[in-house]
Amino acid sequence: MGTSLLDGYAPPSGTFDELIGDDGAPRAEHRRIGDLLGQLTPDAVARAHARAEQSLRRQGVTFGVYADSRGTEKIFPFCPVPRLVSAADFEELERGLEQRLRALSTFLDDVYGPQRCLAEGIVPPELVLGSRHYLKQLRGVTPAGGVRIHVAGIDLVRDGHGRFRVLEDNLRTPSGVSYVLVNRALSKRILPHLFDQARVRRVDEYPQQLGDALRSVSPVAARDTTAIVLTPGPHNSAYFEHGFLALRMGVELAQPGDLFVDGDLVYVRTTRGPKRVHVIYRRIDDEYLDPDAFRPDSMLGVRGLARAYAAGNVALANALGNGVADDKALYAFVPDLIRYYLGEEAILPQVPTFVCVREKDRRYVTEHLEQLVVKCVDEAGGYGMLLGPQSTAAERDDFRRRIEAEPRRYVAQPLVELSTCPTWDAAAGRLAPRRVDLRPYVLTGRHKSWVLPGGLTRVALVAGSYVVNSSQGGGSKDTWVERT
Amino acid sequence: MISRVADGCFWLGRYLERAESTARLLATSRALALDGELTPLQVWWSVLVVADEDEDLVARHGEGVRADGELVQNALTWDTATGSSIARSIHAARDNARGIREVLSGDVWEAVNELWLWIESAAARQDWDDSREAFYRKVRDQVQLALGLMRSTMLHDEPLDVVWLGLLLERVGQTSRILDVHHHAFSQLPADHSAVVTALWVSLLHTVSGFEAYVRASSGVVSGEDVARFLVLDERFPRSVRYGVGAALDRLRSLRPADQEDLPGREAHERLAALDAWVRSLEELAPEQVHGVLVRVVEETGATCDAIGRDLLGYG
Repeated sequence: MGTSLLDGYAPPSGTFDELIGDDGAPRAEHRRIGDLLGQLTPDAVARAHARAEQSLRRQGVTFGVYADSRGTEKIFPFCPVPRLVSAADFEELERGLEQRLRALSTFLDDVYGPQRCLAEGIVPPELVLGSRHYLKQLRGVTPAGGVRIHVAGIDLVRDGHGRFRVLEDNLRTPSGVSYVLVNRALSKRILPHLFDQARVRRVDEYPQQLGDALRSVSPVAARDTTAIVLTPGPHNSAYFEHGFLALRMGVELAQPGDLFVDGDLVYVRTTRGPKRVHVIYRRIDDEYLDPDAFRPDSMLGVRGLARAYAAGNVALANALGNGVADDKALYAFVPDLIRYYLGEEAILPQVPTFVCVREKDRRYVTEHLEQLVVKCVDEAGGYGMLLGPQSTAAERDDFRRRIEAEPRRYVAQPLVELSTCPTWDAAAGRLAPRRVDLRPYVLTGRHKSWVLPGGLTRVALVAGSYVVNSSQGGGSKDTWVERT
Repeated sequence: MISRVADGCFWLGRYLERAESTARLLATSRALALDGELTPLQVWWSVLVVADEDEDLVARHGEGVRADGELVQNALTWDTATGSSIARSIHAARDNARGIREVLSGDVWEAVNELWLWIESAAARQDWDDSREAFYRKVRDQVQLALGLMRSTMLHDEPLDVVWLGLLLERVGQTSRILDVHHHAFSQLPADHSAVVTALWVSLLHTVSGFEAYVRASSGVVSGEDVARFLVLDERFPRSVRYGVGAALDRLRSLRPADQEDLPGREAHERLAALDAWVRSLEELAPEQVHGVLVRVVEETGATCDAIGRDLLGYG
């Protein structure tokens, strides 16, 4: 029995462990912090873990789970052992993400403009025009400030060789960034000695960067701008984050009922009467945002908001209609879009994807379900998925029928052996290898883009699980991007 | 600020004050009951009337509740169906705080959230069983912590003004009801009970945390007339009616400066200013005036709250 945290830690063969190499020692690029981790004892980490959970509860850092009964608040489980990303790896990610977003925003400008990529057959027109996220009434509308993807969260995984690959783009209302900031504050509080010696890039400027990006797209001068965060309300699963970001940016957190539109201008009802609003960081999906323009039954909307947006009187972040670009089927075409619009090869590889709307792909998918992960293009949060290798024959039959009925709704990918990280197993009192993903955040204003150094590391806390979503037993880790 | 957010601030202030004042009322009534000078009925029925829960609890538990100290304390502490219970006030304070998280400092939010986590926990039940006195004390301490953190960690601007406006109007109502109910009850006691009556007035002063302040202000002489005058008219005492109305008016004036006539809130402003002027005009308070004055104060603060809701908090 040793007292080092890393004693007895053994990643499963065939997967890439991010900290420990095949020789059982910390990888060369993480040796410095890995050795520091090795100096910790399991007892110290157990205490740090308990302190972290207590702190999260006291701060009310919670998320709601829709499937649970109303009002259930849970803390997002936190692993005190950080996930490390080397300076060189992150530099490449920054360049790759920036390139990808440049191509995707050009694609959105094209889709809501001349539609060259459809006319030239780069993307099958039905894939875009038939998407329920395509808002045809907005064709020809340029958003205030000219930016469409103000906040992007791109989900990445590391494959069996440790190579980062894009798994999914989130270009509408990606959530989770508040946990990045909360997790960092926790790391500094519970493992100060380790953090002090680790030399990690800071993340706490995110709210200022977001505020700058929002004000930069305002239809009026930045100093005269009223920006707000728009939340569906306290029952939304990400409500904590909405308040957190509003508080840190120093702007008001509004609910739909606080806003109204008059003469294509947006106002908020205040104790001193109506006040004009210029920029809205909205955390409500397109279809619920304006019952006049989209779903008439929406209780979360602001009547006339889409018209005010089309008139250029208010900037919405993110812009309306972005869902056509983060569709899981469109994803398969992103390397082509990068080549088409930018004349460059994609810096970041992605996961080979079969698009069931293509007949050849569909046949392959339905014949190889037990080897593939099938995803529904318009579901998120890990719902509507089939994990082929872990599925039953009945589940595969069910998916085969669903794919044949609505091929447009399904894509399939080979199962990626997600990398593992040493993760605190509180019940066993030791480290265990658990699979992780990474969601870096990219902010874009009128003049520049900025990548948050790090991002949200989600971890599948259940042994052997590939599902990292918070709604399905996932937790999170602080992501430490090392300074050069 | 956003009207809905102002609404959350207003009710945060009211519910924090209500949680504390119910805790105080139960603690002093319990101490009074232990003295044994009064029958349980005399002690606990008054509590039900002050809390405005007499009708409701009698309907649910029968008339026996009026003399049952444990049942009254249970209902006014834990029963979330009881409007002014401690648990319900804490829940409501925390719900309101959660809805206005972005205008509260992290320290204030954590203090309110901790109070809620505690009242929800098994530890709170244990405290209740182990020491009732410590339990009530904990409620008051945690509320005071939250209020102190508001003053020391938040901007002194609109949100804090609205929290305080709600808190002060709630407090004026509480002081008025407590005094009215007890003043009435004590004047019904036979004249030869003077020692008991003095003890009752002392207990009443404790209920509003005013015993020490009163003793200093009155050189130690305790009489019903003087206590009533103190609780209504002494503007140096922060739980007196005159202090509360005046301070609430100050808050309303900073939300809506007098030279900005076009801002919403004129009716609330005029009503509260009139009430303040009237309370200031009272020089003496004879025993037969007490009830009438307090009824008017309660009615006018209620009407002011309605006007604030319509004009400033977005109910209209």
